[in-house]
Amino acid sequence: MVIKVENLVKRYGDLIALDHFNVEVQEGEILGLLGPNGSGKTTAINCILSLLKYDKGSIEIFGRPMSPSAYDIKRNIGIIMQNVAVFEELTVYENIDYFCGLYVTDKSHRKMLVDEAIDFVGLNDFRKFYPKKLSGGLLRRLNIACGIAHKPKLIILDEPTVAVDPQSRNNILEGILKLNKDGSTVVYTSHYMEEVEHICSRIVIMDKGKTIASGTNDELKSMIKSGEKITIEIFNFNAKILSDLKNMKNIVSCEFADNHLIVKSMRGENNLMVLLEYLKSNNIAFGKIYSEPPTLNDVFLEITGKELRD
Amino acid sequence: MFSHIFLYKLKSIVRDRNLMFWTLMFPILLSVLFWMAFSNLTKGEAFRDIKIAVINDAAYKENANFDKALSYVSADNKDRLFNVTYTTMDSAKKLLKDGQIEGYIYFNNGLNLTVKNSGINESIIKEFLDYYVQTSSTASTIITENPSAIYGSLAKDLTQKVQYLKEVPAGNANPDTVVAYFYTLIAMTCLYGSFWGQKEVSDIQANQSYVGARVNVAPTHKLKVFSISMLAAITVQLIEIFALLLFLIFVLKINFGSQIGYIVLTCFVGTLTGVTFGALISAIVTKKEGIKIAIIIGGSMIMSFLSGMMYAGIKTIISRNLPALSYINPANLIADSFYSLYYYSGHEHYFINTLLLCAFTLLFSFLTYIILRRQKYASI
Repeated sequence: MVIKVENLVKRYGDLIALDHFNVEVQEGEILGLLGPNGSGKTTAINCILSLLKYDKGSIEIFGRPMSPSAYDIKRNIGIIMQNVAVFEELTVYENIDYFCGLYVTDKSHRKMLVDEAIDFVGLNDFRKFYPKKLSGGLLRRLNIACGIAHKPKLIILDEPTVAVDPQSRNNILEGILKLNKDGSTVVYTSHYMEEVEHICSRIVIMDKGKTIASGTNDELKSMIKSGEKITIEIFNFNAKILSDLKNMKNIVSCEFADNHLIVKSMRGENNLMVLLEYLKSNNIAFGKIYSEPPTLNDVFLEITGKELRD
Repeated sequence: MFSHIFLYKLKSIVRDRNLMFWTLMFPILLSVLFWMAFSNLTKGEAFRDIKIAVINDAAYKENANFDKALSYVSADNKDRLFNVTYTTMDSAKKLLKDGQIEGYIYFNNGLNLTVKNSGINESIIKEFLDYYVQTSSTASTIITENPSAIYGSLAKDLTQKVQYLKEVPAGNANPDTVVAYFYTLIAMTCLYGSFWGQKEVSDIQANQSYVGARVNVAPTHKLKVFSISMLAAITVQLIEIFALLLFLIFVLKINFGSQIGYIVLTCFVGTLTGVTFGALISAIVTKKEGIKIAIIIGGSMIMSFLSGMMYAGIKTIISRNLPALSYINPANLIADSFYSLYYYSGHEHYFINTLLLCAFTLLFSFLTYIILRRQKYASI
């Protein structure tokens, strides 16, 4: 067990940021903490890192209680913050070397690690650049390099792709997968479900400071009633269609908006053929048809009654 | 670890152009402005011989003794009192009207003086004439009543003044308000070291900067990182102070006296006080950096003003009405230390100031430590 958090409670006055939050991170996995903004992801990370005081609960990392002075634990943790945390007056190389030097004292070993980190994030051409000369994506890569240069066993990334262009985002996500492949355990927080689905081996969904569901991508999707979502473009819609569909077997919900009929069926039941049969038999003209498997947003929606990005 | 953090912090500080301007270039520019503004201030106070006219008529020529006395005090040497023009009455009136002389002397039933204004120079002329009249009157009275006195030491007794008061100089140099302005400028620069102290605290506190958060999760005690960073800040600030000092001494020729060791000590202690003051402000005020900078600038300027940077008289007003304020104002203590070294022959005043500055430095450091030693934050 790399991280074990039990019954963590954190209050800001009357606001409960973490409400008996529990999470366990196994060695070698990429755990995704998924939740909307304000769900408590960053607060949980800051408590785990012993930056924030908490009111109740316990936190263990590598099987030992975490505290601000647990330097032997901290030595094996790499943190990539939501905001870029570098010195404006130091170059790319100097920034990475400075922060790596807080973990690694041997100069020659550190030089090798810094070179590897620069190579890893693809900043070789920008070694002597100052942060203000870097684009947003390159700056994020520098932020990552500063957090992972010392080759930590546990890497915590707190929304590292916020405000990053698609190309840099893909670069970052591929990098995380590579770090994990090289042996690091990763905790990844995001409110982008696509990212979490793409890279995380296990996902914890948070809302209002609580864990509302956890498991692998497939396990989470199997928890909900709804299965595929069928979207049909209809040109002559009438209310009878909606009432007929709602009375059909295996239909969880259906709604019509912007010339599109959206039908959610029960998991495991293929309703596409039944729907097409209904439209044909009733001479209802239709255009494009899309069929999508359930997403984590559907999971979140079914559990909390609201969209993940609300 | 020490050299790693120290060298990178040095680089980081020296490359901060904004703060380097305010802590190095701004004081140098200000000193040049001071120099341009104050360089003629003392020249105005220097004594210059007084231009007078004497009506060179028959009456004057009859008073050979006065002519001798006037020739003595207008002789062309460093003690010259009067620059005399011998002329006619009409010409003298014109010269006075045109402002080319301060007054003119003529004999008409005794010694007469005509002046246009009343001022120091006019008083000096009148004082000279009164002294001459009094002395010559005394001499003629004595000779009339006791003619044999002329063979004794009468002339010597009349002309030789006996001083019953002994002047004991308070210091090694003449009082000089101009140098005091430059001393307050150094004091202000020492307090501008607060900017560095402020920055170092922000860079170490997780609730004040992202870099601070990164440092807090590293396996190095944050107070260790902070102490080394402060040392780098103090080093840079001290170099800046010495650069300003050398500029003042060798370029602007400001007199700092000759006690180099004590001057360096004052710079060192003043720098410590300034940097730790900024660190304390930054530790207490957890608002945005702009607010902290505003507090530091405001505080520094008020303290500098109260030490006499904008108006030298404020120092006297405070020492008369609120003497305690002089002892709790670091800027005043720094400026006063320099002035003590320049003016006073003893070191008692200097050491009181230096000890108070050390006490402030310790107080600021202790309070900063109390706040920074907290290892977890209530909110970030």
